[in-house]
Amino acid sequence: MTYSNNVKPTTKIINSKRIAFKNYWKLNKELYFWMIPGLMFLIIFKYIPMFGIVISFQDYNIFKGVSGSEWVGLANFTKLFNSPDFYKVFTNTLIISFMKIFLLFPLPIIVALVLNEIKNMIFKRTVQTIIYMPHFLSWVIVSGLFVTILSSGGMVNKVLEMFGLEPISFMMNSKYFRGVLIFTDGWKEFGWNTIIYLAAIASVDPMLYEAAKIDGAGRIKQIIHITIPSITGTIALLFILKLGHVLEAGFTQVLVMYNPVVYDVADIIDTYVYRMGISKMEYSFSTAVGLFKSVVGFILVISGNMLSKKFLNKSIW
Amino acid sequence: MINKMFKKKSNGDILFDIFVYAFILFCAFITLLPLMHVFSKAVSSESAIISGKVGIVPVGFQLTTVKFVVSSKQFLRSFGISLIVTLTGTVLSIILTAITAYPLSKKYIKGVKPILIIYVFTMLFNGGLIPNYILIRNLGLINKLSSLILPMLINVFNLLVIKSYYETIPESLEESAKIDGASYTRILFKIVLPLSKSVLATISLFYAVYYWNDYFRPMLYISDVSLKPLQVYLQEVVMEIGDSALGFEGSIDDMMDITPEGIRAAVIVASTVPILVVYPFMQKYFIKGILIGSVKG
Repeated sequence: MTYSNNVKPTTKIINSKRIAFKNYWKLNKELYFWMIPGLMFLIIFKYIPMFGIVISFQDYNIFKGVSGSEWVGLANFTKLFNSPDFYKVFTNTLIISFMKIFLLFPLPIIVALVLNEIKNMIFKRTVQTIIYMPHFLSWVIVSGLFVTILSSGGMVNKVLEMFGLEPISFMMNSKYFRGVLIFTDGWKEFGWNTIIYLAAIASVDPMLYEAAKIDGAGRIKQIIHITIPSITGTIALLFILKLGHVLEAGFTQVLVMYNPVVYDVADIIDTYVYRMGISKMEYSFSTAVGLFKSVVGFILVISGNMLSKKFLNKSIW
Repeated sequence: MINKMFKKKSNGDILFDIFVYAFILFCAFITLLPLMHVFSKAVSSESAIISGKVGIVPVGFQLTTVKFVVSSKQFLRSFGISLIVTLTGTVLSIILTAITAYPLSKKYIKGVKPILIIYVFTMLFNGGLIPNYILIRNLGLINKLSSLILPMLINVFNLLVIKSYYETIPESLEESAKIDGASYTRILFKIVLPLSKSVLATISLFYAVYYWNDYFRPMLYISDVSLKPLQVYLQEVVMEIGDSALGFEGSIDDMMDITPEGIRAAVIVASTVPILVVYPFMQKYFIKGILIGSVKG
C-alpha cells in the first residue's frame, strides 16, 4: 500500500480502519465462532416462541399455521377480560402467591438467625444437610410424600383420630387445599433459602460481634443490632425478587397436586393456560392469557430491579 | 482470648441455648417426618399398613414391596429413560454452556454486551407455554426424547454463573499462552476449562437434578407409554391415573404382603433414592455454587 499525497485523507482513514478491522477479526474470529451454537439455541428455542405470540392476535389453526390463520385483532384479549374464569384464576394466583410470601418469606430468615447461634459445627452442618435436601426432590415426589401422609390412612388423620376428630381429606377439600400448597412449598424450600441467609450472615465482620460483647451486649442484642442490620440488603433483594414473580404461584406444584374438586381455589394462571391450551386446544386464547401474564411479570421484575438499584445499589442480574 | 471471659454461661444463656437447639431440632424433625413415614410404609408388612400402625418406624419389616416395585417392567423402563435423558442432557448442556460462556466473558470483544442482553432478556420474558408447544410440534419432536433435552440445553442463569467465574481467571494466564502462539480455542480447552472444574461440576449437578426432576415437559411432549420418564410414571402411580397404576393391579393378588398403599410408598422411595445417593456430592459443591451465584449472576 502506498501513502502518497494524492490519496484523500478520508480513504486513508477507511483503509486504516479496514486494516484494524482485519487484524481484530483475525485475532478474535475464534471467539465469535464459539458464540454460534449458543445463539442458534437462543434463536430456535427462545426467540421463535416469542414470535409465536402473534397467534394470540389470530384464530390459530394448527393445520394452517401462523401464515394461514385468520387475524382477529384483539378479540382474544376482549374475551380474556370478559371471562369470569380469568378473574378467578387471576385472583387465585395472587392469593396463593401472597399467602406464600406472607407466611413463608420470614421463615428462612428466622431459621438462619437461630441456626447461626449454634456453635457445635457438626450439629449445625448435619441440620443444614437435612433441611435443604427437599429442595432437590421433584414436586412429583414431594406431592407423593404428602398425599401419603395426608391420605385417609395417613399419619395426620391417624393423629386427628386419636384426638377424636373426624378425618379430613386435605387434597380434596377447598377449605384446606391452599394450606397444603403453602405448607408443602415451605417444607420443600425453607432449608434452601436458609442457606442463602446463612451465607449472608457468614460474611458479617466478626469484629463487630467482639466489639458488641465488650460493650456487654447479650446474644439477643447482638442478633438485633448486628446480624439483622447486616443482612437487610439480602432480605430486601430476595423480597423484591419474590414480588416480581407474584404471578407465578408455583406451576408444577399446583399441576401435580390439584384435582377438579379444588379447581375453584387452586387453579392459577399457568394451570389454566395449560388446560385451555393443551386439553381444549384453544391455542390463541390461552396464548393471550399467557402473554398477559408475561407482560405483567416483565413489568414487575423490571420495576423491582429499578427499585433495587435505587435503594440498594444492587442490580438483580 | 476475649472468648474466655464469656465461657461461663449465665442462666439466660442456657435457656437461650435450649430454645435454639429445640427450635432447630424441630425444623429437622419436620423435614424428616414425611420421608420417614413413607420410607416406613414402603418396608412395613401389609397388615401393619392396613391397620394404620405405621408411623415413622417400620412395623413388621419386609422388603417384598420394594423388590416387587424395582423389578417391575414399567418402573425399570421409566427409570432407564430418565437416566438416559439426564446423562445425555447434562453432558450436552454443560459442554454447550461452558463453551458459550467463554466469548461472553471477554468484555473487550465487540458485540458481547448486546448478546448478553438478548440472553438475559429470555430470563425475563418468554413465549409462554403454547408457542413453545407449537414449536416442538412443528419441529417434529413430539414423542421424541430430544424434546426433553433440546429446549433446556442452556440455562441462562447457569451461563452467567460460569461466565462470571471465567472472569475471575487472571488475564495474565491467557496472555502468556497467547504470546506462545496459542489460539483462543486452545486457551479455552487447555487453560480455562481445566481451571474451572469445580464450577463446571457444580453446574453439571444443577443440570442433572433439573433433567431428572423434569415433569412438565415429558407430560406435555411425550404420550408414548414406552417413553415415559420416571416423574410421569410416579405421578400416575401416586394419583392413581393412567395405565401405570393399573399395571400393578393384576399382579398384586398373587403377592402376599403387598398393598397398593405400600406400592405407592415403595415407588416414591425408589424414585427418591437416586437423589439421596448423589446428595452428598451435591452438598460439597452446592454451597460453593450458591456463593458463586450470589457474588453476581
